[in-house]
Amino acid sequence: MGTVNASGQGPLRHGRDASLHFAHRLVILALVAGLFMSLGNVTIAAVGQGLGFALAGVTVFLTFRVLGFVDLTVDGAFPMGGAICAVLIFVGISPEVAMLAAFLLGMAAGLATALVDIIFKIEGLLASIIVVTAAWTVNLHIMRGQSNIPLLGKETILSRHSGDFRAWVVDQYGAEFRRHSTNLLEIILFGILVCIVLVILYWFMRSETGLAIRATGENPQMVRATGINHQVMIVIGLMVANGLAGLAGSLVVQQFGFADVRLGLGLIVRGLAAVMIGEVLLRPRGIGQMLVAAVAGMLVFDISRAWVFSALDLPPTDIQLVSALVVLVALGLPRLQDRWQVYRKRRRARTE
Amino acid sequence: MLTLDDVSVAFNAGTANEIRALQQVSLSVDDGEFVTVIGANGAGKSSLFNVIAGTAPVDSGRIVLDHADITWWPEYRRSQMIGRVFQDPAMGTCPGLTIRENLSLAAIHGRGAGLRQGVKKDQDAWFVERLAHEHLGLEYRLDSDVGMLSGGQRQAITLVMATLIKPRLLLLDEHTAALDPHAAGQIISLTRELAESHELTVIMITHSMQQACMLGDRIIMMHQGRIEFDIAGEERRKLRPADLVERFHALEDDAEIGERDRPGPARI
Ligand SMILES: Nc1ncnc2c1ncn2[C@@H]1O[C@H](COP(=O)(O)OP(=O)(O)OP(=O)(O)O)[C@@H](O)[C@H]1O
Ligand SMILES: [Mg+2]
Repeated sequence: MGTVNASGQGPLRHGRDASLHFAHRLVILALVAGLFMSLGNVTIAAVGQGLGFALAGVTVFLTFRVLGFVDLTVDGAFPMGGAICAVLIFVGISPEVAMLAAFLLGMAAGLATALVDIIFKIEGLLASIIVVTAAWTVNLHIMRGQSNIPLLGKETILSRHSGDFRAWVVDQYGAEFRRHSTNLLEIILFGILVCIVLVILYWFMRSETGLAIRATGENPQMVRATGINHQVMIVIGLMVANGLAGLAGSLVVQQFGFADVRLGLGLIVRGLAAVMIGEVLLRPRGIGQMLVAAVAGMLVFDISRAWVFSALDLPPTDIQLVSALVVLVALGLPRLQDRWQVYRKRRRARTE
Repeated sequence: MLTLDDVSVAFNAGTANEIRALQQVSLSVDDGEFVTVIGANGAGKSSLFNVIAGTAPVDSGRIVLDHADITWWPEYRRSQMIGRVFQDPAMGTCPGLTIRENLSLAAIHGRGAGLRQGVKKDQDAWFVERLAHEHLGLEYRLDSDVGMLSGGQRQAITLVMATLIKPRLLLLDEHTAALDPHAAGQIISLTRELAESHELTVIMITHSMQQACMLGDRIIMMHQGRIEFDIAGEERRKLRPADLVERFHALEDDAEIGERDRPGPARI
């Protein structure tokens, strides 16, 4: 419908303007990130890591924002995906199959939370805490009682190409780029993978089921009134979301070269940070932009954390504190700004 | 055909503030019939809709729609046969989705959501035509978020959603209460048009005696969870709004006199 109504503000005009803004912001963000990347290895490594974790940010976006479900399952689904992936790769199964298994197991964790919520009528936060607690033991069992599985010398999607890629980079750009080759390979492979997942997810969220999932998060009563079982939508939504967390876990494990039960620690904070940073910086409108913003938010989070780390020369023990502070700044600044504006208005009103 | 058999619902049963929202209500509505329901605030009108649509469970009694006993069906399953406009404008639509997306969801009605595209281009003409009937200009705003619309506009959208696929029963709970008089008049005549052209079975709650007299084949007056009058046929045809107002006041006055002596059900 290209109709423009009497006031001259057609619905399409509005939509196009907003997406233009989004594109502008995205380009500016990419340029800034590119600038930082040219400054050194810190940023390049952070981008690779951010892409590994990005899908967990999408998980948090889907549960908290789309489904309106306070879901911490990601803290269990992520290491679960990592664990199964590492075990399968360790025994020599191809990394693709291992990643698929990680996705499916993450889905199972999401299903568990959804069932606890629906059958026992336990609200999302508590239901997911129960599942995460149980997942700890499950993960240890998957890893056969070990808390750490090294993947040294095993074939991962990264190691498979790393030799050729390094040779190609050195050949093309010279020996000084040799030290970047691992990180560049991560960025390329994970970047492609994340893009593919985003495209599929975008298509899914615009399908009838996706639409119903989005509506469930906002108004389950309305979903029931249109003859759709809203509980099924919660189940599907949580399964897809946590499947992505499992997949992210499998990526990170291959990136780190080991699996660890503690891999999910602090992930929920990181995911929330990604979603909110993305929202603050990019002001996305519509489901597609929001998905992109969640991924971009994760990258910004990782880059800024890496810079804080290297600038202050902090020991690795401080990582969680720095994470929490980065989140606090990202979330707190806009609110402080709001309060400051209200304060200024009030003062102006008083002086008049 | 809809049949209610001795349906009762009580809130806070067994406590001091027990409220009998419905007390052994029996009702039978034929196919194609247009029933209007009137009654004071708290009389149990919305509660009646809640048990029919499955939003609230019954304490006892039976509900049968088209020969199927739906008393214990979940709400979503009943909604495949029942269209409903809620009293609260916020209930029937999804604020974060556009008008087009809301209508697309309503178009799925009864089929079950699959993996087809949620928004189908070829449905636009259908949506525009339906919205245009309401004369509220909403057909130009398919891309607007419903959250940006006023309460009355949302009710108008909900009416379109409820009737997009012909329901076997349409429940309208004061669906014009949030509209200005002009728009209300238009929606009321649209309601009549829809009911006639699609031969809908409708139950409509209203506080307007004019609307009740203008629209219903049959008028039901509820009072403290009971059906007090059920006026149909010849008697209905002769009824003027003034008569209805009189009967309404008589009923409420009686109740007030009675309440001095006995602690009746709580009234709001
Ligand atoms: N969820 C609930 N919990 C407790 N009491 C309720 C609940 N829902 C309704 N009631 C009570 O049941 C009675 C009937 O309410 P109902 O909403 O059916 O009235 P109504 O006839 O629709 O009134 P109105 O004209 O104001 O919409 C009221 O006394 C109300 O307080
Ligand atoms: Mg009511």
